[in-house]
Amino acid sequence: MVKIVFESHDGSERTELELSPGGSVMEAAAANNIDGILADCGGSMVCGTCHAFVSPEWFEKLPEQSEMESALLEYVPDPQPNARLCCQLEVSDAIDGITFTLPESQR
Amino acid sequence: MNSTVNDHIPDHVPADLVVSYDYHGDPRLTNEVHASLQVLHDEAPPVFYTPRNGGHWVVTRFDEIKKVVEDYEVFSAKEMQIPRIENPPYFIPLNVDPPNNIPYRQALMPAFSPKAIKALEAKIRQWAGEIIDNALAKGDGFDFIQEVASVYPVSIFMELMGMPMDRLWEFRNLSDEFFSTNDQQKIHQLSGQIIMAMTEILEQKKAAPADDLMSHILNIKVKGEPISLEEMQNMCFLLFLGGMDTVANVTGYSFRQLANMPELQQRLHDNPADIAKFTDEAIRMFGVISNPRIVAKDAEVFGVKFKKDDMVLCLLPISGRDDRKNGNPHVFDIDRSKEDGHTLTFSSGPHMCLGSFLARSEIRILVEEWFKRVARYEIVPGTELGYRTGFSLALTELPLNTVKS
Repeated sequence: MVKIVFESHDGSERTELELSPGGSVMEAAAANNIDGILADCGGSMVCGTCHAFVSPEWFEKLPEQSEMESALLEYVPDPQPNARLCCQLEVSDAIDGITFTLPESQR
Repeated sequence: MNSTVNDHIPDHVPADLVVSYDYHGDPRLTNEVHASLQVLHDEAPPVFYTPRNGGHWVVTRFDEIKKVVEDYEVFSAKEMQIPRIENPPYFIPLNVDPPNNIPYRQALMPAFSPKAIKALEAKIRQWAGEIIDNALAKGDGFDFIQEVASVYPVSIFMELMGMPMDRLWEFRNLSDEFFSTNDQQKIHQLSGQIIMAMTEILEQKKAAPADDLMSHILNIKVKGEPISLEEMQNMCFLLFLGGMDTVANVTGYSFRQLANMPELQQRLHDNPADIAKFTDEAIRMFGVISNPRIVAKDAEVFGVKFKKDDMVLCLLPISGRDDRKNGNPHVFDIDRSKEDGHTLTFSSGPHMCLGSFLARSEIRILVEEWFKRVARYEIVPGTELGYRTGFSLALTELPLNTVKS
């Protein structure tokens, strides 16, 4: 099982998910009704509404961003260097224990 | 208007999937367009075939619509007229399937992104305030559609594009006519007119560039190369139709709904922070655009056999009213949970509405400015409201009486 934590922007709410590997982090968030992940475009990488922040340590470990992902992340309401699109990350043992901090707003 | 198009049912469509539905004026429809349309959820299978308008598939429920609009390999966006016509209008990037749509979309994203729209908020608010003030100055019985819903998003859009404001009604009428017809000759004539107007403005921007979207479009590069005039025209054509008609129509339906909910009016008036929730709920209940697709290759999806070149119409406006997806879907409830608030009003997938962030902000800000000025309002009693159907649903009048705050 892969453990993933979603934390609200102000840190007041934490949701811990235990997931089987496979599928994207966005799909797991949507299936578990994580409030701050909207995923308007369903994973087609045209909206940016599934972005979240990770620690610098985790950011280093994650697979590199595509040009398109980094372009989209420039246009979210509050761009940050350690943001990722959850639709581009696979639920796998490689991210076991990661925490995603949700943005104040997705749009 | 489409009496010349014959009914048609191809051989591969089984009889139990045939239900008559005329998207250009179905007998089921009333001016409560969405409520009358949602009966299709019960009366017909989630994916059915209508013989009307030359024959096409209709998809009515959330999960099925989502699958169709996201699966571009089977359901291509390259052609969108139902019935099919010779040389159909070509919109960029809407009619371009991935991956070729991406560079165009990326070129437009800076203007329509959440970040850009946040920066535009003060300007949007100014338009909202001015337009509401002008409308209220006309006194009781003013037509909200004519004076506010038609003018407000279109003014913002035209300013964003850099279009001359004195052509507002000319452009608004062109888009209204475009969405009112499925006649081949008429579509070509109107497309020509719209493209000519856009070209004229593009040429003016070329001579005198400004800080606006049409000047930006002149400088777009795709894979390092400038785009052709035809590509620019087809982008402007799409933006024109998207900007002229959609928010105007969602706003009209939303204000009609709210007119009949005095307690909610009071709540929004007293608690402006709740207006964002109102906006989300209005968008769930009152989508206006339906998405056509063309089947790109023979395929079996949802246990249904689709044949290459079949046309498919996804009824996005009732996607949020699907009782298999949302609890109590027919109730307007701004406090509903995320779990019961699903909608595809802006579609999904690679062609999801580029203007969705702008649209959401426009509606929220309009309602905020409205309740700064209006304590409560009602539809002029005894009015029979007109409406328009087709790919884009519209309410054509909404006369209001208001009590100032």
